[in-house]
Amino acid sequence: MKDVMGVVYTTKNDFSLRELTASRAVSALPAISRYRMIDFTLSSMVNSGIRNVGVIMQTNYHSLMDHLGSGKEWDLHTRNDGLFILPPFTTKENTGNYNGTLDALHSNLSYLRRSRQEYVLIIGNYSVFNTTFNDLFRDHINSGADVSLMYTKDNSDGRIGRSVLTEHSYLQLDGDGFVTDIETGSETPAYENFSMNVVLMKRQLLIHLVDQAAAHSMHDLHRDLLSPFIHQGLLKVRGFEFTGYHRRIETVESYYQFNMEMLNPKTRAEFFRNPIYTKVRDEVPAKYGVDAVAVNSLVADGCIIEGKVENSILFRGVRVRKGAVVRNSIIMQNSDVQENVEVENVILDKSVTIRAGRLIGQKKYPILIGKGVTL
Amino acid sequence: MQKKRCIAMLLAGGQGSRLGLLTKKVAKPAIPFGGKYRIIDFPLSNCANSGIDVVGVLTQYQPLELNRYIGSGQPWDLDLTNGGVFVLPPYMTGKSGEWYRGTANAIYQNTPFIEQYDPEYVLILSGDHIYKMDYNKMLTAHIETKADCTIAVRPVPWEVAPSFGIMNTDEEGRITEFEEKPANPKSNLASMGVYIFNWKLLRAYMEADDANPESHNDFGKNIIPAMLGDGRKLMAYSFEDYWKDVGTIHSLWESNMDLLTTPPAFNLYDEAWRIYARNPIMPPHFVAEKAVLSNSMITEGCEVYGTVKESVLFAGVRIEEGALVEESVIMPNTVIRSGAVISRAIVGENTEIGEGCRVGGTGESEIALVASNVTLAANSVVAPGEQSDGRKEEDSK
Repeated sequence: MKDVMGVVYTTKNDFSLRELTASRAVSALPAISRYRMIDFTLSSMVNSGIRNVGVIMQTNYHSLMDHLGSGKEWDLHTRNDGLFILPPFTTKENTGNYNGTLDALHSNLSYLRRSRQEYVLIIGNYSVFNTTFNDLFRDHINSGADVSLMYTKDNSDGRIGRSVLTEHSYLQLDGDGFVTDIETGSETPAYENFSMNVVLMKRQLLIHLVDQAAAHSMHDLHRDLLSPFIHQGLLKVRGFEFTGYHRRIETVESYYQFNMEMLNPKTRAEFFRNPIYTKVRDEVPAKYGVDAVAVNSLVADGCIIEGKVENSILFRGVRVRKGAVVRNSIIMQNSDVQENVEVENVILDKSVTIRAGRLIGQKKYPILIGKGVTL
Repeated sequence: MQKKRCIAMLLAGGQGSRLGLLTKKVAKPAIPFGGKYRIIDFPLSNCANSGIDVVGVLTQYQPLELNRYIGSGQPWDLDLTNGGVFVLPPYMTGKSGEWYRGTANAIYQNTPFIEQYDPEYVLILSGDHIYKMDYNKMLTAHIETKADCTIAVRPVPWEVAPSFGIMNTDEEGRITEFEEKPANPKSNLASMGVYIFNWKLLRAYMEADDANPESHNDFGKNIIPAMLGDGRKLMAYSFEDYWKDVGTIHSLWESNMDLLTTPPAFNLYDEAWRIYARNPIMPPHFVAEKAVLSNSMITEGCEVYGTVKESVLFAGVRIEEGALVEESVIMPNTVIRSGAVISRAIVGENTEIGEGCRVGGTGESEIALVASNVTLAANSVVAPGEQSDGRKEEDSK
């Protein structure tokens, strides 16, 4: 897929993720002990052979910039193409937030024009999956579609409810897999084909559409652009089903659930079938003390565990000291659970220190302690 | 080429034959150490942390793994425009050309490489030791004492002194005598194999040494005694921290175990002196429901379903349920099947230990070794002190 360029659209802050996204984009959200959300998207692109990736940033993009650096961990630090970080161009009118994908793409038209690949793959980084796009690309070429959308059968079971993050789109397909209708932002969607915000088309077509959209002040790619064009018969839009592991990360609960699901060896094996690249931190291997107890947990390098860890996700450099108990919890980078502290059903953001006592949350509603807090 | 005050030359061509089956296919500096490192990460990280940004790595024996590992030098920040890490194998010139004949000859053959940087000083290192050292401090001492050569030394227990190159010094630290493996040592200051030479002087001595067909072309045997004989100023630079020659199965095992003591005899958790390595692309490690872990180091990609005590596991190791690993070192991507017991042993890379195998012994038994890239059939036994490549048993029957 050398002739495909990638564009990752990172989201703005989302209040339903509470403090988790207070100071970082959703794409920069830490996940599974050593990754950030964008790693899954970028790795999927790189594993598909995409060599030119632009990452559209919005406000609070500092931690994302820091994470991506030159792109070397994804082999995107090349002379030709490689990683392009596209921060917002702030002016009096523009505060650093985009009104949707189309707006963001319009602001980066020059990057799209400058690139040389024939096709462009645009991904809105709101959900978790790890795949390659080679089958999508093949299907796109073979079907003669103008635009292809990757979708998955909805797995939300109504648990997620109304999203405040973004308006979801659902696809109606005909027997040949072409999209006949798109429903966006409905609370009770009529179709089960959830659009994953993975969009493939020719680069020149995208440039044309984005230009058109700006001229008619359209913001949402699905609702404002694709849907009317389908109904007018102007675009052949195809749906391509993704059947692998896919989760929407839109609430603290769904974030917590997704991390915990990775404790299942089958789920994990499927998810990590293609390698996932991330920023290297040169940590020492994790060290378990003489009295350490650890079961059913994922642990990153740099952790020092002297207490008890159960059903938990530990990020790099976490300390669980003597007599401490960590149960059903997510403990992010450099957090410190000190002697005899007990935590259960909690999410500790980066560099949190719990000095004494017990902190017991609910499985359905884990306690979330913000970055850098000492309790 | 930009001039450099000091460049490093790292001797990485030795076989390390005392490591037996472990170094059959890889050079000693490429041997895994400490869960995610290789021996060569220590001198390379020391260079990076000391601000030495030109490192020539002299390879000769089984260099494939080492070449691949060093690559562009990016993990050690040695992928530079002005400087960097360079792998220097022996080469042909016209119709002649030869292997590196000795440590000094290896450096001598690379004179053109060194001269590109027009250095005042050359730091000679080896890829055989585990230690953290600020070479810049040693260089400062070398300059301050106006020495012709400075040799890093470390006190060793008197009983093992006869197995080292021993420096006898006066009260100012000036080396008066050098004895290679003396039966009756007069001092317990062992050479660490870390030398700083004034380049122009070293070049002159190497030229003279090369002209002598009787010479072993070795720093310890020829160059240093020649300099001492001429009354040159050779200074000992005393280093008191952790330093270990991991040249034998036992010392390699022991040095890994030194990471597990409380506090660790060798501390890798030093933020100010990180050891860099090429990181594998693997998920975090997983400890399963029935896993038992005690006093061990475990890294990315490991899956532990069994019991691991007093051990060091490398990336991608899998310990199945019912397997027991004690006081052992398990190298990358090795699988220990259910019911196997590994005790006081080193198991190489990409190896499979079959169900119910018994490797090594208990108490103070000698360290057992299973080679890399082998499959040990179910219920095989590898006795303490034995080395196995998986075929041994059938052969002996």
